[in-house]
Amino acid sequence: MSGAKTAADQPATALFQLHAQQVEKLPPCQAQCPNSGDIRGWLGVIAQHEKNGLTLNQAYDRAWEMIADLNPLPATVSRICPHPCEDLCTRADKDGAVSINAVERFLGDWGLSRSLPLPRIDSEKHPESIGVIGSGPASLSFAYQMARRGYSVTLYERHSVPGGMLRHAIPDYRLPREVLDAEVERLLGLDIALRQNVDLGNDVDLEELREKHTLIFLGLGAQAARHLGIPGEQGPGVITGIDYLRQRKERSESLDGKRVLVIGGGNTAMDAARSAKRDGADVTVLYRRSETEMPAIGTEVDDARAECVDFRFLVSPTRIIRDGESIQSVQVQGMRLGEPDEQGRRRPLPVPGALQELAADIVIVAVAQASDWHGLEAVDTAHRWLRTRDDGKLDKDLWAGGDDRGPSIASRAIAQGRLAAESAHAELRGERGAGAASARNPINAGAVKTDFYANQQRSQTPRRPQTEWLSNPDAEINQTINYDQAIEEAARCMSCGLCFDCQQCFMYCNASGFTRIQETSPGNYFVLALESCEGCGKCIDLCPCGYLEARD
Amino acid sequence: MGRLGKEYKKGEIIARQGDKGSCMFVIQEGEVEAVAEAGGREFRLRTMGPNEIFGEMALFEKEIRTCTVRALGPTRILTIDKRNFLTGVHEDPSLALRIVKTMSHRIRDLTDRLAKYEEAT
Amino acid sequence: MPESQGGQDVSISAENLGFTRRQERTPPLRNTVLADGSRIAVIGAGPAGSMFSYFLLSMAETLGLDVDVDLFEPRRFCHRGPAGCNHCGGIVSELLVQRLATEGIILPHDVVQRGIESYMLHMDVGDVEIATPLHEKRIAAMYRGNGPRESEPLDTQSFDGYLLELAQEKGANVVRRLVTDVRRDNDLMTVACADQHSERYDLVVVATGVNSHLLENLEGEFESFHRPARTKTFICEFRLGHELVRETFGPSMHVFLLDIPRLEFAAMVPKGEFVTVCLLGDRIDDDLINRFFSSPEVRNRFPGGVIPQQACHCYPRINVRAARPAYGDRLVVIGDSGSTRLFKDGIGSAYRTAKAAAKTAVFHGVDAASFKQHYAPLCRKIGNDNQVGKVVFGFAGLIQKTRFARRGILRMTSNEQAQTSRPRRMSGVLWDLFSGSASYTNVFVRTLHPAYIGSLVWNLVAGNVPGSAARHGRASGEEESHVRR
Ligand SMILES: Cc1cc2nc3c(=O)[nH]c(=O)nc-3n(C[C@H](O)[C@H](O)[C@H](O)COP(=O)(O)OP(=O)(O)OC[C@H]3O[C@@H](n4cnc5c(N)ncnc54)[C@H](O)[C@@H]3O)c2cc1C
Ligand SMILES: Cc1cc2nc3c(=O)[nH]c(=O)nc-3n(C[C@H](O)[C@H](O)[C@H](O)COP(=O)(O)OP(=O)(O)OC[C@H]3O[C@@H](n4cnc5c(N)ncnc54)[C@H](O)[C@@H]3O)c2cc1C
Ligand code: SF4
Ligand code: SF4
Ligand code: SF4
Repeated sequence: MSGAKTAADQPATALFQLHAQQVEKLPPCQAQCPNSGDIRGWLGVIAQHEKNGLTLNQAYDRAWEMIADLNPLPATVSRICPHPCEDLCTRADKDGAVSINAVERFLGDWGLSRSLPLPRIDSEKHPESIGVIGSGPASLSFAYQMARRGYSVTLYERHSVPGGMLRHAIPDYRLPREVLDAEVERLLGLDIALRQNVDLGNDVDLEELREKHTLIFLGLGAQAARHLGIPGEQGPGVITGIDYLRQRKERSESLDGKRVLVIGGGNTAMDAARSAKRDGADVTVLYRRSETEMPAIGTEVDDARAECVDFRFLVSPTRIIRDGESIQSVQVQGMRLGEPDEQGRRRPLPVPGALQELAADIVIVAVAQASDWHGLEAVDTAHRWLRTRDDGKLDKDLWAGGDDRGPSIASRAIAQGRLAAESAHAELRGERGAGAASARNPINAGAVKTDFYANQQRSQTPRRPQTEWLSNPDAEINQTINYDQAIEEAARCMSCGLCFDCQQCFMYCNASGFTRIQETSPGNYFVLALESCEGCGKCIDLCPCGYLEARD
Repeated sequence: MGRLGKEYKKGEIIARQGDKGSCMFVIQEGEVEAVAEAGGREFRLRTMGPNEIFGEMALFEKEIRTCTVRALGPTRILTIDKRNFLTGVHEDPSLALRIVKTMSHRIRDLTDRLAKYEEAT
Repeated sequence: MPESQGGQDVSISAENLGFTRRQERTPPLRNTVLADGSRIAVIGAGPAGSMFSYFLLSMAETLGLDVDVDLFEPRRFCHRGPAGCNHCGGIVSELLVQRLATEGIILPHDVVQRGIESYMLHMDVGDVEIATPLHEKRIAAMYRGNGPRESEPLDTQSFDGYLLELAQEKGANVVRRLVTDVRRDNDLMTVACADQHSERYDLVVVATGVNSHLLENLEGEFESFHRPARTKTFICEFRLGHELVRETFGPSMHVFLLDIPRLEFAAMVPKGEFVTVCLLGDRIDDDLINRFFSSPEVRNRFPGGVIPQQACHCYPRINVRAARPAYGDRLVVIGDSGSTRLFKDGIGSAYRTAKAAAKTAVFHGVDAASFKQHYAPLCRKIGNDNQVGKVVFGFAGLIQKTRFARRGILRMTSNEQAQTSRPRRMSGVLWDLFSGSASYTNVFVRTLHPAYIGSLVWNLVAGNVPGSAARHGRASGEEESHVRR
């Protein structure tokens, strides 16, 4: 019995306890969504509808409302959004990210086809009058959030039709105008006044509007385009991508047999190239780096290729050679890739002596958007883009959002419009700002036990047959998944960081720690009686979505 | 990792013809040969591998081994007691099914061999 | 003592024709048999569920009967820690190892974490090893899941996972879903899952064990069903490393006879780099656990007498009184959720009940009357033996409390172990009691043998005479050999 003595004064074993608690976490999809969409929430409403006593129709209605709460244009935005939400979806490593975008698009169409009204916020009418410059997504979002909070809102738009770039730049084969029209109309139906053909700086000036309205929102976008600054650029046959797309929206002109060179590698370049193809031209895209550095969405590039758009990489135009007025060719400099720049993209460097001439009739320059500050003389426009606070506040009565704070995507414009409205409302009502979406911690990688979930292939957005793309040039290529696919896809969501009623904790807790809630809803199925927990930690290990975690 | 049964080296005898025995054997790992001695000569009756059984006659009738079983290489053998087996069969006669199948197989095999032998001579 | 509501200690009441539904009573079925295309739902792929599926499909195959088996199991046995585990000591008894081998199932070496060939009995009066005469490893120590929480990813395999694979190879279709409800639905049975999926079956086999809430749901659905009574137990795992486990524990299971009230059985089972501590009794609580770990007999198993930090622990419930009734029309309850041997060889009982239920379903019928006639007798037999078991544990409890009895037992066992030629009455009784190799009834009957009693009385006297040579199992030279090397 050696050691018995020394052992006798030791305390007995210390039980290493793992007590559980329920803590909601921020899922990666929401963290990635520029508009912080509660994706998990609305997917859950659909996937778990039976548990919560909803018919599938009711669930779709409810899910649409949840989206529309943050974004008044779901059918529109879902059609064009590059969906960063799917990039880090936890499901990606298992059997493909949840097709969040496809479900959102389905819901957008669902809302339109059922004429669902935009969800109201019960609010008294407020006396303040709000002026909004522009009618792009940023302005529309701001106007929506203010109108539903009880303010009277007036939009001032330079053009005859609202919608900004969505209307004037994005081609119909990606975004049918009927969809945009229907969603804008529904939005304006919230008693929002639209004053078309009013150009700030020409038809009205900022001081006037400041007097008229308590508060002004600037959603001017980035209407100008940058030029190449090379010899021969001035003159006929050279046009910016945005101008070309804008003109084409009004009246498309045949480019049959013309050789078109599109300069640039972004989405505007892709839209311009594919549009020119539809107008009958032979199109080549010139990009000064290689394909991997291209900022355009991958599928856009693939689709352009499928439509026989040619690509030349690692070339940079140096001169446009004209014969009199008309363009003969473009001289290009061969490039190679050097060290990565600040954004991590490899910098193009000229290869000495590698000069070449490419025959051309028309050159479309789509290298970058630029600001147009006319009418904003009273505002600090010293920088390339407007500099505001995070909530969009620029001056005591001025808020701004969207591309005028730096070009981005529609979803971000919507988010900035919304956050500006929330901040403006709080200020007008003397409340404290709503603050960040919430202080929830992002879910840890690995906290979701992906192998718990059954394999289920991702449903793909259906597409029009490729043979029809050019023959039916304005018809939308992407289509909407159907009624059944939408719930199937929603059921693929693993509900990262929020209880989805898998019932494992309830089923396996030996201490009967979990009690079912009477009125359930996604995330709300069981209460955990902390005092009955025995500290075995089993439910923490079991909870597939990472909602249960250890208490300290 | 863990292993069950008892280990035998190559050539080691697991059961000897004529010895008394009250258990059956199940091969866990390795190969064994069954040989019969008659007139001072050894005949190989068969070789057996993992999951095969031998010595099953001891469970049913007299407890004298009818042949010698030897390890052909490193082998691990699990024994099944007669007592345990018979209590099991009492509760669930189907437990004996697999043994009966093996025995019938062996009888068929021996009959075939006998027939071939008769043909040859 | 038991947690759930009671009744008498009889497993099956004779008049009872099985589960009836709460509201309406459907007329009992007669001779309902399985046919080609019949669908069977097995809920839970613990040993009972997997073995049921395996045997049913084997028998059906022999008969040329083509049935579908859906085996519902959300648990992934490849997970480490409690999520992948069905929590038990991890002993496959000598009896079951042999039964399985006879059935043609041999446990692969990555499932067997250690082969066990002896028991080491630890008491305040000394330790004694009880070995098999053959020195053959016929007991397997294994993991039900894939080892304790945070164990190294070794190439180990879960025991339950292995049985599940066997069932799968026979054609069982594993459904990774958690079952929330079983309902009688016209003539058939409906199984509903947490993810809103539900399907209809000709037969539902409940094999959820007692560490699941499903049986409570069943009680709500079927008025005549009473789930098993359970009590709380304790298991924990210590990571000591391969070397130390081999050196300290050897190929032995270590059992403790300590004077701690409510503790019926305490054991340490060496596995790969872990040793599992397992406490069974009546409502094992933290106070009892502390008393156990404070006793020198336990501390001395660990280096320096210090209890290390545990890697994983849980408080699984164990079945202490069978479900009543364990069958109904198109419904049968097997394994721990039905009836099992008290505190011993639970997996062996899972095997027995699973096979009996499978045989009934294939050869007789899936109606209550068939189960009553062909399945219930086994449950009754187990129940009756448990009654004897309680008496046996009562005796063991007396010995735990009485130091002089412990001395006698130590002496008698030590002497038997030292002299292989003598009849091993005490060793045999202890072996069968610890290992579960014989029924409680069999063990009890042997302790009534005059020779056993005579020998015990002699040893009680001799063991307690001061100065007697063999007073301590460890003390005398001749016994050194069988005291753990
Ligand atoms: C070719 C192209 C393709 C694109 N593709 C996508 C895509 O696929 N997906 C995506 O998410 N985003 C895409 N974008 C970006 C997206 O369109 C913009 O991020 C978004 O439209 C910005 O919204 P906004 O409200 O800030 O500005 P805009 O949409 O530009 O709207 C600004 C509005 O303000 C009006 N305005 C400007 N100045 C004045 C003034 N002085 N007085 C009165 N009115 C004025 C303009 O007429 C316009 O209606 C694309 C952009 C382009 C150019
Ligand atoms: C502390 C302790 C130590 C033990 N030690 C041993 C030992 O060493 N040797 C031994 O032989 N026995 C031992 N036992 C007994 C043994 O654990 C049980 O007898 C055995 O696990 C019973 O097997 P089963 O298949 O009936 O149930 P379980 O092993 O409990 O399996 C039930 C299965 O059903 C599944 N399930 C549960 N609910 C649902 C649901 N709603 N839907 C779908 N699936 C579900 C579970 O996930 C689980 O896989 C011990 C028991 C305890 C408590
Ligand atoms: S699985 Fe669901 S919650 Fe998780 S990231 Fe993907 S969409 Fe979001
Ligand atoms: S399973 Fe129950 S006892 Fe164990 S940690 Fe979770 S709540 Fe606590
Ligand atoms: S285990 Fe399942 S039911 Fe329990 S909290 Fe996690 S997701 Fe919800």
